[in-house]
Amino acid sequence: MRQEPINRLSEKGLRVWRIYGIFQSLIVFLVGIGAGVINYFTGQYIWLYIADGVLVLLIGYLLIYLFPKIRWTRWRYEVREQEIELQHGLFIVKRTLVPMVRVQHVDTEQGPILRKYDLSSITISTAATSHTIPALVTWEADELRGRISVLARVAEDDV
Amino acid sequence: MMYKEKFTLHPISAVINFLKVLKDMIIPFVIVIGVNGFGGGGFEGWTSYIIYIVYVVLLVALLVSGIVEWKRFRYWFEEGELRIEYGLFVKKKRYIPFERIQSLNYTEGILHRPFGLVKVKVETAGGGATKEADAELTAISKEAAEQIKKEMVLAKNKESVTIDETDQTEPTVEQRKPLFCMSQKDLFILASTSGGVGVFFSGLAVFVSQFSELIPYETIYNEIIMFIRFGALLIALIVFFVLLVAWVVSVAITFINYYEFTIRIEDDEIIITRGLLEKKKVTIPLSRIQGIRIVENPLRQLTGHATVILDSAGGSLAEKDEKIRLIPLIKKDKINHILVQIFPDYEFEANFKRVPRRSRKFFYRLDFLWMIPVAASVSYFFFPFGLFSLLLFPLSFLWGAWQHKTAGYWMDERQLVVQYRLFSRVSIWMEKKRIQAMTEHTTYFQKKAGVSSLMTTIKSGVSGSATTIPHIEKVDAESLMEWYEPTRIEPIDIEKEQPL
Repeated sequence: MRQEPINRLSEKGLRVWRIYGIFQSLIVFLVGIGAGVINYFTGQYIWLYIADGVLVLLIGYLLIYLFPKIRWTRWRYEVREQEIELQHGLFIVKRTLVPMVRVQHVDTEQGPILRKYDLSSITISTAATSHTIPALVTWEADELRGRISVLARVAEDDV
Repeated sequence: MMYKEKFTLHPISAVINFLKVLKDMIIPFVIVIGVNGFGGGGFEGWTSYIIYIVYVVLLVALLVSGIVEWKRFRYWFEEGELRIEYGLFVKKKRYIPFERIQSLNYTEGILHRPFGLVKVKVETAGGGATKEADAELTAISKEAAEQIKKEMVLAKNKESVTIDETDQTEPTVEQRKPLFCMSQKDLFILASTSGGVGVFFSGLAVFVSQFSELIPYETIYNEIIMFIRFGALLIALIVFFVLLVAWVVSVAITFINYYEFTIRIEDDEIIITRGLLEKKKVTIPLSRIQGIRIVENPLRQLTGHATVILDSAGGSLAEKDEKIRLIPLIKKDKINHILVQIFPDYEFEANFKRVPRRSRKFFYRLDFLWMIPVAASVSYFFFPFGLFSLLLFPLSFLWGAWQHKTAGYWMDERQLVVQYRLFSRVSIWMEKKRIQAMTEHTTYFQKKAGVSSLMTTIKSGVSGSATTIPHIEKVDAESLMEWYEPTRIEPIDIEKEQPL
C-alpha cells in the first residue's frame, strides 16, 4: 500500500467550502420553492410538499455538511524534490503524480471568498495537464509556489 | 549591415488569395442570394440590377485585394531569422528566428503544380494561441523553398556546430529512399473500408428484412407486420443506396488524398508525402513525437490490417489534426518492422498483462444504470416492440466483456504500452519521459474489489491526451505509479535520459 501524501489543506478551507455549499443550496432552495409554487397551483398534494422539503433539506445537508467534509478529509498533497503528489476526490479517489521535470508553471489565485479567509489556490501546469490545490493559507501557497518553481527549474527538459 | 535580397511570392498567389477569400465567402453569398431571390424582390426595372452590381464590385475588390496582398508580401533572411513583411492596409512585419521553427510543411495544390510551385507553411513551437503564430508563403518556387530549408539548417548549425555536423552527414545520404510506400492494393483496401461499417450494416439490414417472413409471429400481428416489413425493406433499401453513394464518394476522396503515400526519414524528421491532385508534404521532427498508436477497427482487425497514428506536441491550433496518420493502412505483421526503423528507442514487442477477471463487471455495470430506466420506459410505452430494448442488456454485456478482454498494459523501464477498446482496438506506446502526469482513480466499488484505473496524460497537439488503463489490480496500479515516480529510480539516470 502506498503512503498517503502527508500535507492537508487549511482548516479554513473546509469553512470556505461550506460557504460555497450554502450558495449552491440557496439555488436548490429556490428551485424547491418554485416546485412548491407549481404544486400549489396545480395539485396541492401534501406528500409532494413533504417530498420537496425533504429533498431540499437532504441536498442542503449533502452540499453544506457531508460533501465538503469528505472532500476535505480526502484532500492530501505532498511536494517532494522530484515530484508532486496529490490525492483528492469525492466519490472517486484520485491520486496524481506530477514529476518536477514536467512542471511548466505554477500560479496562485485568490477569489473574494478565499481572500476573506486569507487563503489561495495554487495551480500547477504541465504541458498537457493542470492540477489545482484549492485552499492553502496564502503565505503557505506563496512559499509552495516559490519552492515548486525552483525545483522545477533545476530539471530542465525538452517538452 | 549588408543589403539583403528580398523575395516575393509567385504571382499565382494573387489568384490563390482571391480564391481563398471567395471560398470563405461562398456560404454567406449563397444565403444572401437565396434570401433576396434572383429577381430582387420588390424592385422594379433597373434597380433590380443594383444587387448584381454590388456583387461584381465586391468580386473586383476581392481580386484587387488579392493582388495587393501578393504585391506587398516580402520575405528575406537576416540575422538567422526568417523575416516577413505583409499587410493589406497596415504593414506588418514578422521575424521568426530559425531555431524556433519546428517544421516546414509543403503543399502543392492544383494551381501550384503546373508552375512547379509549393505552398510553405512555417510552424513554430507551440507558442501562440492564434493562427497568426505561424507564417504561410502562399506560393514560391521549389528552389526558393529549398533555399529556406538551407538557410534554416545553416542558422541552426551556427547555433551548435559540433553536434549537428556529425549528425547531418550520414543519415541524409543513406536514408533518402522511402521507408514505407503504400501499395495500390492497400490504398484500395483503405479507401473501401474507411466508411465500410455503415454500408455493411445497412446491407445486413436489407438482408435480414428479407428473412423476417420466416419468423412465425406473422400470423398474430399480420397486418402490422406486413406494413412494418414493407416499410422496413423500403427504408433499408433507401439507406443502403444513400450509403453506397456516400461510400463511393469517400473511396474516391480517400484515393485522391492518400495517393502515393510515402514515408521518409531525413535529419531526424519524418517526412510524409501524399496526394494525387494536391501533393502534401508534412514534416514532423522526431523529437516532437509523444506517443504512437496502433488502431484496428473490428473490420480491419479481421483482415489483419491496422492504422498507425502519432501524437505530436505543439503545432498550430489552425491545424486541426494534431494526430498524424503515420501509416493509414498496413498489414499488422509488417508494422513492427517499419516502426523499429523510425523509432529505434521504442520496444514494439509488447507482452500485455491483461485485466483481472473480477473487474469485468466494471466494464458494463455502470451502463446498466441508465439503461434500466430507458429500457423500462421504452418497453412500457411502446409495449410489444419496445421489449426489444431489453436486448440492450445482453449487447452491452457482450460489448463490456469484449472491452474487458482487450484491455491490458505492458511496461519496461522506459515505456508504457496500453491496449484498450472503445470500438476499435487501440494500442498506445508512450515513453515514460513523455508522460506528463499519472493519476490513479479508485471508486468505492473498485476499492472493494481491489482494482483501480490508471490515467496517463501525454501532450498531443496544443493540449493533452489522456489514456486510461481500466480496472487493473490495485497492486499493479501502485507499482505503475512507483514506476513513474522519479525518486524511486536513480535520479541521475533520468537526467541523462532527458536531452534528446
